[in-house]
Amino acid sequence: MFSSKVFSELGLKLGLDVMGSETHGMSQRGGSVIAHLKLGKFQSPVIRTGTADILYSFEENETYRALKFLRRGGVCFVNLEDPGRFDPKVLNHLKKSGVTFRSFDASGAALRIGSIMSTNIVLIGYSVGTGLVPFKHEDLRNVLESVSQKKNLEINLKAFEIGVREGKP
Amino acid sequence: MGNVAIARGIVEAGCHVVTSYPGTPSSEIIPAVVQFKKELGLNTYIEWSANEKVAFDNALAASLTGKRAAVAMKQVGLNVASDSLMSSAYTGVIGGMVIISCDDPGPLSSQTEQDSRFFAMFAKVPVYDPSTPQEAKEMVKEAFALSEEYQIPVILRPTIKVSHAKQSVKTSPVKVIDRQADFKKDPERWAATPRYRFVLHKKLNEALKNIQEKFEGDSRWNYEVGNSRDVPLGIITCSVSFVALLDILEELHLKKAIDILKIGTPFPLPQKRVAEFIERHKNVLVIEETDSVIESQIIDKSKVLGRLTGHIPLQGDLTPDVIYDILASVLKELGIADLDVSGDGKLYQLIESLDIHARRPTLCAGCPERAAFFAIKKALPKAIYSSDIGCYTLGLNLKAVDTVLDMGAGITLASGFYHAYHQDKNDIPIVATMGDSTFFHSGTASLLSAVYNNARFILVILDNEITAMTGMQPTPGLGITADGSEGKKIYLEELIKACGVKWIETIDPYDVQNLIKLLKEARKYTQKSDGGIAVIVARHPCLIRYPDVCGENPVRVEITSDCDGCRYCVDYFECPALYLSEEKDRVEIDRNFCVDCGVCIHACPKGAIVPVEK
Repeated sequence: MFSSKVFSELGLKLGLDVMGSETHGMSQRGGSVIAHLKLGKFQSPVIRTGTADILYSFEENETYRALKFLRRGGVCFVNLEDPGRFDPKVLNHLKKSGVTFRSFDASGAALRIGSIMSTNIVLIGYSVGTGLVPFKHEDLRNVLESVSQKKNLEINLKAFEIGVREGKP
Repeated sequence: MGNVAIARGIVEAGCHVVTSYPGTPSSEIIPAVVQFKKELGLNTYIEWSANEKVAFDNALAASLTGKRAAVAMKQVGLNVASDSLMSSAYTGVIGGMVIISCDDPGPLSSQTEQDSRFFAMFAKVPVYDPSTPQEAKEMVKEAFALSEEYQIPVILRPTIKVSHAKQSVKTSPVKVIDRQADFKKDPERWAATPRYRFVLHKKLNEALKNIQEKFEGDSRWNYEVGNSRDVPLGIITCSVSFVALLDILEELHLKKAIDILKIGTPFPLPQKRVAEFIERHKNVLVIEETDSVIESQIIDKSKVLGRLTGHIPLQGDLTPDVIYDILASVLKELGIADLDVSGDGKLYQLIESLDIHARRPTLCAGCPERAAFFAIKKALPKAIYSSDIGCYTLGLNLKAVDTVLDMGAGITLASGFYHAYHQDKNDIPIVATMGDSTFFHSGTASLLSAVYNNARFILVILDNEITAMTGMQPTPGLGITADGSEGKKIYLEELIKACGVKWIETIDPYDVQNLIKLLKEARKYTQKSDGGIAVIVARHPCLIRYPDVCGENPVRVEITSDCDGCRYCVDYFECPALYLSEEKDRVEIDRNFCVDCGVCIHACPKGAIVPVEK
């Protein structure tokens, strides 16, 4: 949910209309959470299957379920402890659909700086580092500074920069 | 967020009194009103009431004094408040009174998918049906004005995809309306006897007719999108289905082929506008969620396709994917267009073949409710377990929950089970579980009725000192009110005693062994000739709300080589911090989740979970 907040703020900062929705009925008790976000001229807060440009996924099984939202030629960033474990048939199919699939052990990196909760920010940083997303390093950094709680700011920025570094080709 | 926009509408309308009982997807409205009150220095009275009917009546009374009042709840909450709703439609209101009832098609976090707009029809009050957060905010303000103009309570029905939607919302200045409470006595109205009720009903029907007339001429909430000439299909739609449809038509470049009539006031339905729209189109499709409120009201349905003709699913929410599929099949049926099949079939097949288990919600690591359920299951494995609405519904996973009906039914069903068996001279153990907030909501009438009628069962009140499931709202037991100011604390044990219960014990459920003992004693008490209902208050604060409490006396555990990977703890204790390592074929502790509660020591039949030697 924090990730969705980061991108919403980014959209507002860039002067884009922001729409989105979150399903979090039982999320705090371990149910799945999906946040949809649309930046630009849209009417509906929900994304239709096969139309999303970018997918961020923080958990392997959730990735399989959320892949359907990506459009042909879309790009996804997946937090995977062991990138070799992702199903090769699915990977192959994604390749045929022109989907760029990038996985990275964001949890591991977050754990190394003592903050598993920062996994999402590491992965966002990673995506910026790859240059595959139209978000600027500086803009996202500024957004993180404005939306982070004071006590988390330092660790969030650290997580972000680690991600960016790891994402660079 | 939609609920914040609704809260903003409430303060922009100059509302004086706001009440609620928490429930997804409505829970964020009150905290947002509190926030606006603090930021803007308003004098708004805000309360978390003990239940939705209490909230409704408090708001209504404010309206009777001439003030503006709002009450917010989830859709099943309106069932609880329905007695007041039905009657207040007849008596009417003075100051604007707006009822916000948030629907949960899907359902994502509710017992039913009921459509609150039917409640508006049933009670005969007008209802606004917003499509976006921005519209919800504007509708709240209009609802206050309409309510005051016609002296009638008005419902706003946002669905979860409006309440939880994000949108950049334009705000307007906050209105401060200076009104002193001034209740004007009028017993023929406020205390109407049946003879006067007939008169009031007649007046209500007249008001509704006038409101319908007003809605006919309204173009702010009821309007058309499209060019309206020689178009083969017209769609009548509302709520979030409307905006989903707009995005789909844009994406498919079908805007010119389809006209839309957007309805924001589904009851009373602007019949003339609808009839005129239908008249102009060869075919008409009605897409609305959750149920067929608009469609049912249409008088001449000969050209209408919808839920009643089998073109729209009877259950579930209308996601953009579902709407796309509806559109594709209707356009094909009518020979208008042949759309591509939605989604990537090959991908679905591949994912399906992976056989991924759905993530099921579970109680948090260290949750005191897990400890209580584990003890209940150990002490009385053959009991009937009637439970209730809250986090502890997840006791299902521990097989310690057999029934979940509605708020308060943990006790009432236990009482009913007892009498049904007792009638046949059968004595069976029955354990009811209920949270503290639910007990305050609707436990007392249930409990005192059960005591009065000689029922016998064990009630375990899982007191975590907060309304946890819906996002940590304070309870009467906490003694803190909605805006953080001090209220009077209600003591559970005193309340239980006042219901006539003679056997009450309080224990920390982390003390599993003693809780098991206590449950066995309680069972004996229910069987004694002079026994009755036994109540155990299992009190331990919620770990999400009070994370420091557990940190005070940590019991760090480890798993010894005695673990043979039997899975008992994983399957029957189900703590997220315990998992079976496939490589080692034994259970391991995930320290990212473990909170050092030490309760799992009791969960291992082999004694392989032990405290770490200090």
